Amino acid sequence: MNAAPQNRGAANRLGRGILRRFLDGLYNTSGAVAAGLTAMICILVTAQVVLNIITKIGGASVAMTIPSYADFAGYFLAASSFLALAYTFTRGGHIRVTLVLGAMTSPKLRLTAEIAALVICSATSVFATYYMTLLLEESYRFGDKSTGIVSISTWIPQTSVVVGLAIFSVALIDVLVQVIRNRAPIIEYHEKL
Amino acid sequence: MSEILIVFGLLVALVAMLACGVWVAFALVITGVLSMLVLSSAPIGPILATTFWGHSHSWALAALPMFILIGEILLRSRLSEDMFSGLAPWLGRLPGRLLHVNVFGCAIFAAVSGSSAATAATIGKMSIPELKERGYPESLILGTLAGSATLGLLIPPSIILIVYGVATEQSIARLFIAGILPGLLLVFLFAGYVMVVALTNPGIFPPGEQRFSLRQKLSASRRLIPVLALIAGVIGSIYAGIASPTDAAAVGVVLSTVLAWWNGALSWEMLKEALMGATITSCMIAFILAGAAFLSVAMGFTGIPRDLAVWIGSFNLSPYALLAALTVFFIILGCFLDGISVVVLTTSIIMPMVESVGIDPLWFGIYLVIVVEMSQITPPVGFNLFVIQGLTGIDILKIAKAALPFFLMLLLAVILTTAFPSIATYLPSLMGN
Repeated sequence: MNAAPQNRGAANRLGRGILRRFLDGLYNTSGAVAAGLTAMICILVTAQVVLNIITKIGGASVAMTIPSYADFAGYFLAASSFLALAYTFTRGGHIRVTLVLGAMTSPKLRLTAEIAALVICSATSVFATYYMTLLLEESYRFGDKSTGIVSISTWIPQTSVVVGLAIFSVALIDVLVQVIRNRAPIIEYHEKL
Repeated sequence: MSEILIVFGLLVALVAMLACGVWVAFALVITGVLSMLVLSSAPIGPILATTFWGHSHSWALAALPMFILIGEILLRSRLSEDMFSGLAPWLGRLPGRLLHVNVFGCAIFAAVSGSSAATAATIGKMSIPELKERGYPESLILGTLAGSATLGLLIPPSIILIVYGVATEQSIARLFIAGILPGLLLVFLFAGYVMVVALTNPGIFPPGEQRFSLRQKLSASRRLIPVLALIAGVIGSIYAGIASPTDAAAVGVVLSTVLAWWNGALSWEMLKEALMGATITSCMIAFILAGAAFLSVAMGFTGIPRDLAVWIGSFNLSPYALLAALTVFFIILGCFLDGISVVVLTTSIIMPMVESVGIDPLWFGIYLVIVVEMSQITPPVGFNLFVIQGLTGIDILKIAKAALPFFLMLLLAVILTTAFPSIATYLPSLMGN
């Protein structure tokens, strides 16, 4: 099924099935939504700054505030951070110590380390997703709300965190399966910050 | 006694995970989970969930993606060319001449960007080829760039100070303002070093450049006005208390977009790339911060940091002795870990110890950033070294050797800031609240 030559990219893509395309589309879409939310934060905060300036110039009679804009900015940030997890991961954006990995000359040892790391991280991610879902369910059941002018039900922004963590878990397991089938690490890392 | 063994075991587990390539944020979470399993009976999963949620939606942290975005936009604008042609005419008479483009260019870019790698990439892109062509010594080109680019961390806005501020609940605005004078001190030390080398070894420098009239100088620098306006707007509004760092960051994004449009580099494609790049970097940092927040909470349940503070307290060390020990520790840690990981490990585990000997957390933030700056240029893991290797193809050990004098200048800055703490605390003390 995956005899096709492996292309060199941020992540080698094994196979070309529907599932593969679906998963890659999932990571890219959630990454794009995350980027859109980052842009929304800029627009929202800039709009409020413009209103502040208008208030400074025109006095209290023209004072306007975007209701609960600080809360919204925070929720957008949480949604953006968590929805981008899988996208960032598949592009080698999460940092790890590559020093020891790079010094492993035996491919077998290197593969074992990679699989061990991915198993540990997948398990942790699933664990976090599970408990975040419980927290979401609790917020929904108790009807938790934010305390600002616009009262937002906590479960709404929390859903983005759960969805982001769930996609991240899928991506980790996806990469784990690919590494096992490929018998070599598949994500190349950009050393940058 | 058994607790010491447990702490040692946790440390071994953390190091083993990091060595195996477990992603830093996960390694922090798992260390937290293990410590709670062994030393407390609190429910781990629910605490993890509430910490992740509680620490991911803050207003202060919303500044993070935006300051990163400013750097990404400017990196893709024509700022690096403008910086070179705008600064070069002024530096003809200074000993060391155009090498100072690296120092001052980095300092200016650091004042609009919060990352040292973005600073190295933006300035180096233009200055390395230009300076090489003019025959400046390679080791000094690489050294000044690697060293000065670390200013990106200290001169506000600074991503690492946002991380420190969020993790320790310090005011980010005050931390930013506290970074200004130590940042200028470093500019002075770096430029001073270049001048001393130029005066003692004039032979290694190429013959003098053409002279420019004042009119030509001013005309060449016209292109720097938008950047200077951007700096004045962002830093000035925070200092004057008109804008929070988050407000200033949003305005900075708009202004840097205008700046990119003004010098003809703006396109949808470019903006999209910058936005995706910023989203990735910001996600990576936010995830590490969430992991670190959980580790801090877990550590609180286990009582390890408190015991550590008591244990250190039992030696009756003076703050200076403790700082000397910590500096050595951080330099070693910084050889293997990136700056953000060093900062979050510090804030989760050794903050109580630092506060127990009466060290001001605001001052400590600045101290920590200067020490982390050193870690950017120490092999084998130093992000500036990686960036410059990417730009030039030169081996990181060679770059690190070229950067060694600047490492020593950073160490001197640590000593000066420790001896005269008001270098960091004077400006924030003028701010009121």
